[in-house]
Formats: sequence, structure tokens, C-alpha cells
Amino acid sequence: MRLLALVVLLVLTACTASTPPPVRLKMLASTELADLGPVLAELQRATGVELTVEHRGTVEASRSLDGFDLAWLSTTRFLRLRGTEPELAASIMTSPVVLGVRPGKRAVLGERPTWADVADRAALGQFHYGMADPRVSGGGMAALIGVATAAAGTGAPLRPEDVSCDRLQGFLTGRAFDVPDAVGEFARRSDVDGLVAHESELLSLNASGKLSEPLEIVYPRDGIVLSDYPLMLVEPEHRAAYDRVVEWLRSPAAQQMIADRTWRRPVESSVQRNEKLRADLGTALYFPDSTEVIDRLLLFHDRAGDGRQVVFVLDYSTSMRGPRLAGLREAFASLNGFDRFYVGETVTIVRFAGTVLEERSITVRGKEDLDALLAVVASDDLRDNTAIWAALDRALHLARGDTAVVLMTDGENNAGPSLDEFLRVGRGEVPVYPIRFGEASTAELDRVAQASGGRLVEAGAKSLLEAVREIRGCR
Amino acid sequence: MREPEFKIVDPRRRFLLWFVPPLAVFVAGLVVLLVSGHVTGPFKSVTVVRALFASKRDFFQDEQVKRILMARGYQVHVTPIGSRDLAEKPDLDSYHFVFPSGHVANEHVKARRAGKHVVPYRPFFTPVVLATFREYAEALVKAGVAKPHHGGDKPFYYTLNVNGFAELGKQRWKDIDPGLSNGNRVIAQSPDPCKAYSGATLVGFFATALGDVPPQTVEEAEKLALAVKPHIDAQGQAGEDMAPKYFVPEGRTHAVIAVIYEHQYIAYQLRQQNFDTERVLLYPTKQHQSTPELISFTPEGDRIGELMMNDPDLRQRAVELGFHSLGWNGETGTDFGGYIAGRGLPEPPAGEMGRVELPKAELFERMLDVVGDCG
Repeated sequence: MRLLALVVLLVLTACTASTPPPVRLKMLASTELADLGPVLAELQRATGVELTVEHRGTVEASRSLDGFDLAWLSTTRFLRLRGTEPELAASIMTSPVVLGVRPGKRAVLGERPTWADVADRAALGQFHYGMADPRVSGGGMAALIGVATAAAGTGAPLRPEDVSCDRLQGFLTGRAFDVPDAVGEFARRSDVDGLVAHESELLSLNASGKLSEPLEIVYPRDGIVLSDYPLMLVEPEHRAAYDRVVEWLRSPAAQQMIADRTWRRPVESSVQRNEKLRADLGTALYFPDSTEVIDRLLLFHDRAGDGRQVVFVLDYSTSMRGPRLAGLREAFASLNGFDRFYVGETVTIVRFAGTVLEERSITVRGKEDLDALLAVVASDDLRDNTAIWAALDRALHLARGDTAVVLMTDGENNAGPSLDEFLRVGRGEVPVYPIRFGEASTAELDRVAQASGGRLVEAGAKSLLEAVREIRGCR
Repeated sequence: MREPEFKIVDPRRRFLLWFVPPLAVFVAGLVVLLVSGHVTGPFKSVTVVRALFASKRDFFQDEQVKRILMARGYQVHVTPIGSRDLAEKPDLDSYHFVFPSGHVANEHVKARRAGKHVVPYRPFFTPVVLATFREYAEALVKAGVAKPHHGGDKPFYYTLNVNGFAELGKQRWKDIDPGLSNGNRVIAQSPDPCKAYSGATLVGFFATALGDVPPQTVEEAEKLALAVKPHIDAQGQAGEDMAPKYFVPEGRTHAVIAVIYEHQYIAYQLRQQNFDTERVLLYPTKQHQSTPELISFTPEGDRIGELMMNDPDLRQRAVELGFHSLGWNGETGTDFGGYIAGRGLPEPPAGEMGRVELPKAELFERMLDVVGDCG
């Protein structure tokens, strides 16, 4: 036995005789990588490389890597957008940004939910979640990008034109908090139903015993964003040590340790995984290649909240009778997912024919308010004549603050002021989005749209619902 | 009452007791070293050879390759880097040899070494392929742009009509096959064409599909590049080396079609106890073969190049790692097909169909710059 031990010792000595001298390197790492302590201790024992780590949120860290030898962030993508990505980067492990839900609230989202379902329930005030601050955290930013990409529904990376209108408000209505340390905040509170974070953070939280019941992990069916945790060489002079560190971190033993202790998915395919790390992730959403997109999403994020208003100016002249009115009602009834009227939003409906027939403003607080809106649209009170500009004038008087006006008409103006008379008066900053169908005048509606900073939508080829969806969230 | 006993120790025995275990340890250690092939370490000087590698570093990082080289007295220190970055690297001359993945980088390196020691060796080749998963390959078959290459229930290889595939690019997977719950567009994902050869090859595939003949002028090259660009831009930010992520359990999430090298797939399959029937390859009807060149700058580099061309152990290992071997005259060896078939894996359709005719190096580089917005 003693002999065997000595043999082993000798062999080990033979193998490690060439171990390079100890090195100490400064590393900048994503906040959530604070759980890598034991792995880094083992790394130092195995390679002689000691990493002194400073933690920052990935988005914040990506602003500058100056002063560090290595960086280990959840992604290189933010660096690449800035054109400051180090030459060498090696992915060490992965974790998707997903949703953890308290078991009692899981049923609210339905079976196999999408981000659209989450946005829908959030808009109705039925689901509240926390997330990390996207201005600081890679997880928070990935969530914002993922949800926006799902909302655009193009199956392609977001382009600036995909985010010209803000379709995230409904989703963001459900946000209970966005702080740098979202996991800690969630653990302290009991009034929040879910948490958007990396799978690894959610599984660690479940394993920590800080929650009375573990969260159920939801992998939204319309796609997730995957973080791949590349280790980057910032100072090229430390190349040799970097190569050693990467080689060790990618070795089966280290990969196993990472999977077992930090709940991240190994990039080495031979490693045995805990059952919880085998869940099917589904589709990954593409990452936009444009800073403009990111800036715009942050803008939407920052201005989310109460006080938004949308005014619908709806033509109830007799020509609307039949399928047109049915289409209009269906459009209102079918607005859901990312397009749903959301808690805090004020919806004003102005019904008109030769005069204004009815005006009604409702600030949404829950499902019953949406039913009240549908009741207004369900009216069968159709009259003669079409006073488009008089009705629009009335709508603009009802506008308060951050407002957009949607004008839906199928005919030509034949009562009240003419377009020229209407435009002669200054109209302020409220954009008008006319939706044209039937015999309405393209030229006149387009003029109003242009003059107000809005946009004309032709509903000829598509349903009214599609037309309304196209401009939902436009301001 | 027992008499007290005195234990008398024989001094010779005492000496043996102390001497034999260390001797045994020494002998055992020597045996271990001999068996593991490290014996040359302690007894013979080892030449450390520094080299720059693109995707073919897998070969020199293989434990068996390292052992074979060590037994011949060489240790290769590998510095991985993308092919295009390799060719531009300022300290190129400080390495013994370089091993870029494709002809553009090869030519670049040779041009930079003009007038100095530069000897190329071409030990093997491997085609660039589109790696996917069975249900996606079958969706492409249903859409009429792919065909199984060989019979059986579960073919490993399909041929792909790149023109037809490019035309599907505006649709989403779930549009072409409702059975797929994937809302992403039908595209292939590759590493950044500005950096990696396999990324550049995807540009080559589309360029061959969309243009009838390789462009002859800068204007033609730029025009063709603009036609190719949307197909490459469709993936948003490009990824890194796709192969490792393709083979992990969440491979589908990383990319449902990833541009990789055939050898990476063959080596993966040969490592499995039972062949993975979920992962399959698409071969564009016009293929592109990556013939990496080991370009030596020093006598030490020459020696590695010669070993790669002549050493039977190294050549056998290359085949086991999925490479098609090449002889001194550039003729294809027969050992690859024989070995693969012997292991029960059908021989892939490499080299059976037409080849992609890439434009001349400088025109192709210009195309890459336009497609990838390379800064």
C-alpha cells in the first residue's frame, strides 16, 4: 500500500515537474460569477494561476476592461457591439436567461408558456416578476432583448425598425423591481410571483433553502437568450497563463465541478449532468448586431410606467354595418400577448358618425376594465354622415401627456370641418396613426399622419387586428 | 512468567528494508514512464516547437498525437487563433510553423514570408459542412432542397441545394414544417467571416449559389458580396467556433445549422459507443474542402511537417480523428474510407460532387470585407 502511494507520488512528481511558476492575475467577472470561489481555488492548486476577481454587472463591465488581465463575463456580445472585444475568448459554460415562477402562480401562465403569455398576464396585473437592471446586468439586458425579439416575431435578430414602436410596455407593467441584485431582492420579498434570471441563478436559489418552495423553471417557448461565459484574455502578455487556465477549465474534472457546484451547463459534452441541467432549452433568439437597438430598448425600459394613453377614434357611420364593424370588434377583443391594453394605460374611445356619438376614457386596472372597453365597441348605435376631422379634433382635446391617437375610418369626410380647416389650427405633439379601409381617402389620411409625426396603415390587405398590432406601442 | 525476549535485527536485512522500497518505486516509475511514452522526457532532450493554429488545433491537442510527437522528441506548443487573424498577426516570424485552415490565409502567410524560410506541407484535408439535426434535415427534404445521401432509415449525410436553401431564408422553420416549434428563420450559423475560415466558406457557398461564375473584377466581387450579405447578416452577431457547442446536449439551442468541419463530426461519431443518429451533416452540392497547410518557418517546423507526411502513427491518428489523408503529390489516401467503413460509419460524400470555385484570394477577401463589415 505504502509502495503504491510512493509510486503514485513519483509519477505525479514526474508529471508536474514542469509546472510553471505561480502567477497572480487580475480578472473582471460578471456579478453572478461570485459562486466560482471553490472552482478558482482548485484552479490555483492545479495550474498555479491565482485570480483576484472584481465583480461587476456584465453590461457595466463591458464599458471598459482597462486595468484587468483577464475578463470572464456572461457574453462578449456587448463588447463586440462596441468593437472592444479582446482577440481571444473561450466559452467555458452556458446558462440560459429564463423565468422562475412560484409554484402557486405557475398555473396563471398556462402550459408551455411563451414570453407573449408572460407579457399578457403581466399587462393584466395577474403576474409580477423581478429582473436584474438591464443597464448594469447582462441577465437583465438579455431578458429585455429576448422579450423584444419574441415580441417582434420576425425570427430574425432585432433591427432598428423592429423597435421603432414600444411593444414592451405590457410586459414591463408586471415588473415588481429591477435592481442590480435581483436574486437577493427576490429572496427577501414574498409579494413577487417570478424572477427573470439565468437558469444557474434560479437553480442555486432553489438549492439555497432561502425560499419556502422552490421556483418552477419556465423555458419560454418563443425563445431564450443563452449566455456562454467566455473567458477573455485582456492583456496579451499573459497568454501562457491564460492558455493554462482555459485548458484546465475545459478539462472534464473542472467542467464537472462547474456543473455540480454552480448549476451552469458544461461545454464539454462528456460531463455527467444533474437532471435539472438536462431540460430542453428550445430555441435561442438571435442577438442584434446594432447598438441602436440596445439603446432603444433601454429607453423603453426607462420610461415604462403609468400615464400612457391611447385614443381610438372609431368610425360608427352606417357604412360600417356588417363585416367592417364585426372586424373592428374582433380586433379589440383579440388584442392580447404583447399587444394587450395594460394596467396603468388609459384607453379612450371616441365613437363618431356625423358628430361624436360617445367618448369614454378608462384607465386599466384589471380584466373588468377591458370588458368595459369591449362594451363600448360593441355598441350598435350607427348613424349617417362622417365627420372625421371634427372627431379627431375632439380626440386631441382628450389627449393627456404621453398619448397616441389611432383613427380608424372607412369613408370620406362629409360633415364638420374640412381637412384644411382642421390642419390650420396647431396640433401639438400628439401623433396620429390613421388605419385606412373601405373608401377612406389615402391622400387625406396620409397628410394627417405626416403632419402629426404618425404613420398611415393600410388595412386593405390585412385584418384590422393586424393593422392595430402594427402600430401598438407607437408614439 | 515468560522470559524477556530480545529481538535481534540482522543489519543486512535492515539495509534491504530501507533500500528495496525506493528501488521498487524507481523501477515502477520508470515502467510507468516507458509505457506512457514520456520516457524520452527524462532521458532525451525535447524540442519545444511553437506554432499558431486555426481550427486544426484539435489535431495537435489530441493526447495520442502529443505522445507520438513526444516519442519523436517534439512538443508542440499550440496558440489557437482564427485563420484570418493568424495571417495578420504581427509576430508571425516568432513561431516555428503555422497551420491556417484555408487557402486565402495560406497565401497571405506565404506572401508575408517572401524571401525567408517557408516550406508548405499538406498532410490532409477535410470538407466544410453544415451540421444539423435530423428533424431539421428532414424539414429541408420536405421543402425540396435536401436529399438523403445514402439509404437506410436514418442517413447520416444529406446533400443540400444551396440555391433552394437560400430561397427559404425569409421563412421560419415552423412555416416550412409545422412540426418544428422554432420561430427562427431558416438560416445557417457560422463563425464571423472576418475571422474564421469556416465563416468565410459559408460566404463562398452562397456566392457560388447566387453567382454563376466567380467574379473577375473588384466591382463584380462587391456586387456579389452585397447579394450574399443578407444571408450572413440574418444570424445577427456571429458566434465563435461552432463545433464544440454543436455537440453538447443543448446543441440545437446554440444553432440548428452550424458550419463546421467534417473531421469534427467524424471524430465525434467515432468517440461514441453507439453512433449519434440525431446529428447529421448537410453537404452542399458544390463542396468546399479545407486543405490546411502546415507552413514551416524553421528546420524544427520542417521536421514536424515531414513527420506529418511520413510518420505512419501520426497519419493513422489523423484518420482516426476524421481527416482525409493526402500524399506528397496531393493524391487522396484510401485509408480514410477503409477505416470509417471498418468502424461501421458510412463513408461521407466528401469530394463526390462539384467543388466550390472560390474567387481569387484578393477578390474573395474583398467580398468577405463587404459581407462581414470587417473593420
